[in-house]
Amino acid sequence: MKSISYLLEGLTIKRVLVVSLICLGAAAIVVRGVLNTYPDLLLSALCVGYTSMVLFTIAGNIRQHLVPREAMQVLAIIAGSFLGTILATILKFRDVSTMFTERLAGVSITMGLGFGFGCVVVAMYNLREKTARDREQLLRAEADRQKLEKNVLEARLALLQAQVEPHFLFNTLANVQHLVQTDPPEAARVLDSLIRYLRAAMPQMRESATNLGREIDMARAFLEINRVRMGSRMSYAIDVPDSLKQHAFPPMMLISLVENAVKHGVDPCCECGSITIRAAAAQGTLRVSVEDTGEGIKPKKGGGVGLANIRERLKALYGPSARLVIEERAPHGVVASIEVPA
Amino acid sequence: MSRVAAVIADDEPLLRAQLRSRLSRLWPELDVVREMENGRDVDAVIAEHNPALFFLDIHMPGVNGLECARAIGDRAHVVFVTAFDQYAVEAFEQGAVDYVLKPFDEDRLAITVDRLKARIGTRPSELEDLVQKLTSRLGTRPGSEHLRWIKASVGSNVRLIPVEEVMFFQSDEKYTRVVTCEGESLIRKPIRELLDELDPAKFWQIHRATIVNVDHIASVRRGLKDQAEISLRDHSETLVVSRAFTHLFKQM
Repeated sequence: MKSISYLLEGLTIKRVLVVSLICLGAAAIVVRGVLNTYPDLLLSALCVGYTSMVLFTIAGNIRQHLVPREAMQVLAIIAGSFLGTILATILKFRDVSTMFTERLAGVSITMGLGFGFGCVVVAMYNLREKTARDREQLLRAEADRQKLEKNVLEARLALLQAQVEPHFLFNTLANVQHLVQTDPPEAARVLDSLIRYLRAAMPQMRESATNLGREIDMARAFLEINRVRMGSRMSYAIDVPDSLKQHAFPPMMLISLVENAVKHGVDPCCECGSITIRAAAAQGTLRVSVEDTGEGIKPKKGGGVGLANIRERLKALYGPSARLVIEERAPHGVVASIEVPA
Repeated sequence: MSRVAAVIADDEPLLRAQLRSRLSRLWPELDVVREMENGRDVDAVIAEHNPALFFLDIHMPGVNGLECARAIGDRAHVVFVTAFDQYAVEAFEQGAVDYVLKPFDEDRLAITVDRLKARIGTRPSELEDLVQKLTSRLGTRPGSEHLRWIKASVGSNVRLIPVEEVMFFQSDEKYTRVVTCEGESLIRKPIRELLDELDPAKFWQIHRATIVNVDHIASVRRGLKDQAEISLRDHSETLVVSRAFTHLFKQM
């Protein structure tokens, strides 16, 4: 029973009342033009109305894809008018067999009226439903738009809140502290790199338009500091043609990839590793990649927060024409690439 | 005063050299018998040198300072060295263990040296509780228990896809389709295995052949024969929820 109860879904008291009112009204209109009494007409109208209503409800709920729903509903109204008229005949204790002979004219009028009213009601019903659907669609589109806007704001906020890691800063200063006494020129070089890195990493510098050259400079400063800190454990190379350095590029993305390469790639692996930054433009796409020969990504290792942030920002800035791709490098390590329209 | 044997463990060579030179000035009787890049082989080092004292950087690749301290146990005194760890410093200040902050402050290091001199010869304190507390506070847990990355072959490359990006997994004869906003790829891992490894709060099985990421569901509606249909954000395909799984979406 439960399995077919869905067919009557939507058959609410409100719907029954509306149909009853329409029948009352329809009988009142028709009674002026014919000889029948009002109760007689009302009984016919209610029979046709209720039968059509039930069939209409079932037609709307039946799950099939062969016939459009509207066509099913019109068929339901035709069938409802027909069956309702027969029902009215039975309830009035008249002979069903004479329906299509002597009383054909009257019966046709009842069916015709039932069908006419039915179609008007169905048309109004569908119009209302369509308006509601349109509104829902509009609301959903609005919600999607707001969500996108929220994502853009969140991404911007995350960008502004990202801080220079105190751990990195103090460790670097400890290195400088030592180098000042043992190798002053090297100490000066590390300080230069630290200053360049900090300048680029200051929150107020981040939102301004930036180009690939500046992002590369920041990454180089960061890598240079780490080369000194990690000693022989890390080396790096930057292979970016000068012609691409003026190309616009979103801020703080490349450095995120480079930080990941150091922190999750080379650093956890006790043997030495190298990091290479490459950039190339082809077929309308600028591809900037950071490759490390580190320990690679284990399937259960976290650390995707920075990457999710880059993805969100790329989507907000370029839509589907930009992407972040992470690939495994053979025999070990990771290549992370950002592709933006050239 | 007799000689004291010490070991310095830090992954940064310059910082090892710096601590060594400062200590030699402040504590001439101290012999740094060994430098380590991380906490690996600590047992061998103890067997060989039997040091009274370890200076351990907390963040080291391989075996970190906390794991190393646990391995040392009460076989030697431990001084933690750290650049910046708010939680660690708080914990140290409550406990009996010594710590040094990088960059080194000469006066602060001198105080630590004095305290250590007094402590050498006494029995090293048990650090297990402190180490356990720090390990949980520093979030140095080995990683989540759930699958975070999917490895999929794309041409000759292996693409790494964060699971959050995946909208759904669907078995396709002998492969499994991995569908993201940007496209789809095939992996060999069957739905059954994925189900065991993915976070069950985010990834729901909705069909014998389908796992969906609930974060990507736009809406759920009734479909044919007691089934339901899922529409996704940013994707035109609809997914069928088979009868056995429709209860997941009842009364939500």
